[in-house]
Amino acid sequence: MTHKQINKAAFIVVLLIAFGLPLVIRSATYLHILVLLFFYAYLTTSWNLVGGFAGVLPLGHAAFVGIGAYTSTILFLQYGISPWLGMLVGGVLATMAGILIGLPTFKMRGAYFALATIAFAEGFRVIVENIDFLGPFNVNGPRGLQIPPLNTGLGNFLFTGKEPYYYIILIMLIAVLVLTWIISRSKLGYYLNAGGEEPEAAMALGVNVARAKLIAMAMSSFLTAMAGTFYAQFTLYIHPKSIISLDLSFEIAFIALIGGRGSIAGPILGALLLRPVGDFSRIYFGDTLPGLHLIIFGLVLILVMNFQPRGLQEPLTRLYNRLVQRITQKTTGEIG
Amino acid sequence: MYFIIEDAINGILMGSIYGLTAMGLTIIFGVLKVVNFAHGSMLMVGMYLAYWTVTLSGIHPYLAIVLVAPAMFLFGYYLQNIVIKPIFIAEKNVREPLTVIIVTTGIWYILDNITLLIFGPQYRGLADNPLRGQMLELGEMFISVPKLYGCVTAIVTALGVYWFFQKTDMGRAIRATSMDREAASLMGINQYKIYNVAFGIGAATTGIAAVTLVPFYNVFPTVGVLFDIKGFIIVVLGGLGSIGGALAGGIIIGLIESVGPQFMTATWTEAIVYGLFLLVLFVKPSGLFGQKHDW
Amino acid sequence: MALLKVAGMTKEFGGLRAVDSLDLTIEKGQILGLIGPNGAGKSTAFNCIAGVFAPTAGDITFKDERINGQKPWDLCRKGLARTFQIVKPFASKSVLYNVMVASFATTNSRTVAEEKAIKVLESLNFADKKEILSGNLTIADRKRLEIARALATEPELLLLDEVMAGLRPNEVDEMVQVLKTIREQGTTIFVIEHIMRAIMALSDRIVVIQFGKKIAEGTPKEIANNENVIKAYLGEDYAAA
Repeated sequence: MTHKQINKAAFIVVLLIAFGLPLVIRSATYLHILVLLFFYAYLTTSWNLVGGFAGVLPLGHAAFVGIGAYTSTILFLQYGISPWLGMLVGGVLATMAGILIGLPTFKMRGAYFALATIAFAEGFRVIVENIDFLGPFNVNGPRGLQIPPLNTGLGNFLFTGKEPYYYIILIMLIAVLVLTWIISRSKLGYYLNAGGEEPEAAMALGVNVARAKLIAMAMSSFLTAMAGTFYAQFTLYIHPKSIISLDLSFEIAFIALIGGRGSIAGPILGALLLRPVGDFSRIYFGDTLPGLHLIIFGLVLILVMNFQPRGLQEPLTRLYNRLVQRITQKTTGEIG
Repeated sequence: MYFIIEDAINGILMGSIYGLTAMGLTIIFGVLKVVNFAHGSMLMVGMYLAYWTVTLSGIHPYLAIVLVAPAMFLFGYYLQNIVIKPIFIAEKNVREPLTVIIVTTGIWYILDNITLLIFGPQYRGLADNPLRGQMLELGEMFISVPKLYGCVTAIVTALGVYWFFQKTDMGRAIRATSMDREAASLMGINQYKIYNVAFGIGAATTGIAAVTLVPFYNVFPTVGVLFDIKGFIIVVLGGLGSIGGALAGGIIIGLIESVGPQFMTATWTEAIVYGLFLLVLFVKPSGLFGQKHDW
Repeated sequence: MALLKVAGMTKEFGGLRAVDSLDLTIEKGQILGLIGPNGAGKSTAFNCIAGVFAPTAGDITFKDERINGQKPWDLCRKGLARTFQIVKPFASKSVLYNVMVASFATTNSRTVAEEKAIKVLESLNFADKKEILSGNLTIADRKRLEIARALATEPELLLLDEVMAGLRPNEVDEMVQVLKTIREQGTTIFVIEHIMRAIMALSDRIVVIQFGKKIAEGTPKEIANNENVIKAYLGEDYAAA
């Protein structure tokens, strides 16, 4: 078998496992964990479009999650509009916000950009947390919004079991990975990489770096907002402190960094590695050693940045490639 | 009317303490050109140090500076030396290694949660220290004594740090390195040692700030987070690298926080602070007193 | 026809006048050299033309269009490409990737960009190194990559900023040949250089500036014998003349 064939086979196997898991795992708790795992993988992959490809460090992406969640939820609760439609509206709003934020901030140096995104996110959170009404819209700031689990069904994006949510987020994740792959091979991808690495040289070669970054930001914010809607429909309760939190923004960014930003597999790898660690330590050590997962998180962050700044995907990809090579050698008797 | 003046004065006093807490951050950014996201956690460590020193020995809170400042200096020195220096070595050609933000965030997570593990989430306060709740009567106004002490300490510290950077050899070496680390190293200055010292000084300053806070502010594992974000805002307002700017920025924040609630809810003042921060970032990123770098 | 016309260009930085009423013209198909002692204002003039900053006064006309203050990427689209004195390869990426970024200036398709990039590399005898990480190249190869990238944008006018700096004499000669070939393929070249041997061999015409002002213009032979030029360079080491 050739290298390519093995890759394809592995891909299909992974897909089969992913789609087949709910048939094997019946526990609602574990399904819930998996759903959140995919949710984070989706978020980090979307973040990667700006944080990885565009080469900046946005630390306020939770704001977009919040925009998506609140838009679709308010439209659903107050006007009965299907969350699917609300998802799109939220995405558009988030895109506008993202471009508005990006316009002045992309000109800044790295550290300032990071601080600006934090300020936007926190400012947004503070405002949402403290208003009850935004014009005609009931935001219910400090108490959050609850979605009553009535009228379940696809149209209302409400389900009684975890399985439908599992499949929805899985499909979203696959879609976003495919999109990332397409972009990485496209003109935009090349331009983003170039602009992130050597902006002056890129500009001299015809790259409008600022515009490329804005396009990436627009896409990233749209996709991230969609995840916000998903979260609202899944957990049925949103509150600024949880959904527009700095912790969430940081977690997204750092999972992507540990996995390896700028690569396609990095963010999802990071999520696959770190989320279970977090869940595990929360479940088993939550009472005796609270915050243990954050200590581990911090340690991993420091170690990875020191020894594998391009993320864990680098050594893991190398390992995978070596494994594949071994297999091709064994099956064809030559170096595939 | 008197209330506003009273609020304003207390706001200025608290603001100068904010400025003192942010001083370490601005020193570190000014010299190492990196944002230390672990700044709040360092303040928290200083506060716990001060708290336990006073609680276990019963001395006057301000005397704790004698222990806390040098301890924090060493803490900062070795933190930079062991954990952060490798990044600088790896990214020798990068003027502002962004990776340090990430590493210092890791340090933040670790420090905050180890503290949580060791000391638990309880809020601690120096219940019966000589300063707590003391008020100075100025006519019809009440001025907070611990904040007054804090303000004085802030000014003295600022002057001391300024003198250090202007008049001592080490201070000049640090300033030289901050302007051009390659050129400085060509003149025989060990840039990594300089960074260690600068980080240590930043940490020591933060330790002093911690001591001023402990008499009237509760100590708990995540106390630093609030000061972390406020620190960034203050430092950008005042100008990264400017000691006086840190004080000025802090006072501005202090004033907004104390006078603002007369006119709007406290949480809207928070939004205003963020808005002001963004405004400065867009209009004059070098801050009120910062130099025009090629930021 | 004059591809590039610079008329009365002046650039001031605060109180310092780096370029003073500079006039020069580049005809299509020509190789024009710009030389002058250190600090003469060559780089400033270059950067004004390349769109890095706008001149304080004067007009820069490219293909009969005034291009003062236009952005580098727009200028690139219009057919004006430049290299950097301190080379800036996308170090984490392969040589091919580097050139493809430039090729995308002329196409939206990845396959086309790849084909074009390989063609450019082949024309510079560089195609064998296309998979090498550009960060691992020698300085001479990096310079070649700079030129390859600029060429891949299919420019009409190529601005070269001290592209010979750091090269050994035999590499300099090679580069001169490469540039002459590029001109034969239809690209006009504007080159700033310190290395006399190169610029004398390469240029059709040379402009000499000192203290921001033009002090001489002519063929290499005329320049070499020009008294003002010799005086301007007195006391300066001839790098590799």
